[in-house]
Amino acid sequence: MSSAAAQRPNGLALFILPGALLFALFFFLPIGLMALMSILTGNPVVAPKVAFTTRHYARMIGDPFYLEVIWTTIRIGLVTTLVALAIGYPLAHWMARIKSRAGHALLLMAVLAPMLTGIVVRTFAWMTLLSDRGVINQTLISLGLISQPLKLMYTETGIVVGLVHIYVPFMVLTLTGVIGRIDERLEQAAENLGASPLRAFLEVTLPLSLPGILAGSLLVFALAISAYVTPILLGGFQIMTLPILIYQQISANFNVGFAAALGIVLLMISLLLVVAYNRALGLVSGQHDLQ
Amino acid sequence: MSASIEIAGVSKVYDGGVRAVDAVAMDIRQGEFFSLLGPSGCGKTTTLRMIAGFEIPSAGAIRVDGADITHVPAHKRDMGMVFQNYALFPHRTVAENVAFGLRMRGLDKATIATKVKAALAMVELSGLEERRPAHLSGGQQQRVALARAIVIAPRVLLCDEPLGALDKKLRQQMQFELKQLQKKLGLTLVFVTHDQEEALAMSDRIAVMNGGRVEQIGTPAEIYNQPTTRFVADFIGDTNIFRGERTTTNTMASAIDVGKDLILALPRSPDIQGTGILSVALRPEKICLSPRADAATATATATGSCAHGIVENTNFLGGAVLYRITLEGGHRVLVQQPNAGTSRLFVPGNDVTLDWTPADLVVLKD
Repeated sequence: MSSAAAQRPNGLALFILPGALLFALFFFLPIGLMALMSILTGNPVVAPKVAFTTRHYARMIGDPFYLEVIWTTIRIGLVTTLVALAIGYPLAHWMARIKSRAGHALLLMAVLAPMLTGIVVRTFAWMTLLSDRGVINQTLISLGLISQPLKLMYTETGIVVGLVHIYVPFMVLTLTGVIGRIDERLEQAAENLGASPLRAFLEVTLPLSLPGILAGSLLVFALAISAYVTPILLGGFQIMTLPILIYQQISANFNVGFAAALGIVLLMISLLLVVAYNRALGLVSGQHDLQ
Repeated sequence: MSASIEIAGVSKVYDGGVRAVDAVAMDIRQGEFFSLLGPSGCGKTTTLRMIAGFEIPSAGAIRVDGADITHVPAHKRDMGMVFQNYALFPHRTVAENVAFGLRMRGLDKATIATKVKAALAMVELSGLEERRPAHLSGGQQQRVALARAIVIAPRVLLCDEPLGALDKKLRQQMQFELKQLQKKLGLTLVFVTHDQEEALAMSDRIAVMNGGRVEQIGTPAEIYNQPTTRFVADFIGDTNIFRGERTTTNTMASAIDVGKDLILALPRSPDIQGTGILSVALRPEKICLSPRADAATATATATGSCAHGIVENTNFLGGAVLYRITLEGGHRVLVQQPNAGTSRLFVPGNDVTLDWTPADLVVLKD
């Protein structure tokens, strides 16, 4: 019995092998190569005389243009996350609390339906709405509310609109799971003790859904700062973000080393956020274990 | 100050036409321990939730001290509630949980601290102020929920099966403590339970509910000794129910023929009317059991308060013994006798005589 029990974990551990292999080949290896390329003077495969260098990073820090691109990327990510949270939270709350099964199914379909269409198609749809001769501007002009078309396309606003539309489902689905697990009777208990429905929400449901808010925000932010298609189509290369810059460095400038350095920066921003998320979650849930 | 509650013809119909509560009427007096007792789905919890303001009645009115509160939102009702699963706020400490209602009432910090301390002392939880609910035992959580509800000095305390999750010993202790606290504070307490022993032990009055309706309202003794309906007689405790036709014999002016050669004398009561089919109930402990003695009981049999039978099996309860007896005609009857010592116990196969007083027979409405 003891020998069987001792061998069991080893046998089961074998099942991890395919996953671990996949992870190593397609995750650690490419990222390791990218990190390596970012500190080399050239491509070691074609150029035999390569040396280590920090010039890619020095170039980034030395040029305000690149810092501006990094900041724009983060700003678009933050605004997208906040808007997605503002839209997603009420929707998720509604979905988690709705009594009727049919209502829940309809809401879920409404949230998921956009995901059935490709990102490119949805972005083009936004272009027909937001462009100077698009639906919104034409309507406002014909109503006489404005004389000149509003600049909606090729702005950060346009990019945020497109990104929010694409990433709200991720926020909603993450939040619905968390809010659904909060016992409704807790809100009733708060109301019974004299809290108005709004106060009960702020005192009970909101703090208890904090892990979901953090997880959903992290997910949306990470996806938004690495988005490529939407910023290109709705920004028209007039708004430069890190993914666009990386693409240009590889396809137009053939500067793989600098592109790798930019990629590492993008990765670092996401990693920093994951660390911050774990810290924050530790603080929130750590209270439970303080005792 | 505690309040009285008047529930006037209240119904609750859910979407889809389910009548959870059907024209329920009851008056709950000030300072009374009032239980809503019934099987699951009888509408007792829905009734409580309507008093608390979590459900709005489809018809009827709820009045507290004469004022109509049917449409007053829950947070303005000034009622304390202990939930079935306690519903303690998991992200707050014991002290913060108890302080919640006081904070919502805008009291200053010093007053809140004093009241929280007193409330926790009252439920014997001093020293656990900084714990989180997850680190408390079931009994302790129950006490926190109770402290949280009474610290606001509610007009009414509502309890939804608050002791259901506790083990038997702890439950009995909490029953005792809750009852004591209720009397000490003079609280009007509405207590929902499906446990008839709990309701009988704690309540001043009980409303027995079934299928959304009130079957009977009365003191525990009234509910137990004079059940008015077949449901109440059956639901509360063990009972023998006979059903038969009104009849008269040479020796009995008013009797009921329950078939299989058994005729029972009815109690002399003015409110037994008609000649139709009747149901009567006889509690197992109201029957006296003795070794069979034909001669002495011949006359008693003729008066409809005696029968012969054979002990089928026995169920030893400790302080009492429950016998299952088959009468000569074939009726099966439960008889409970105090445990008067091993030598006086009957064993399966014993020939026995059963006798009782006709006055203990209760006529039921179907």
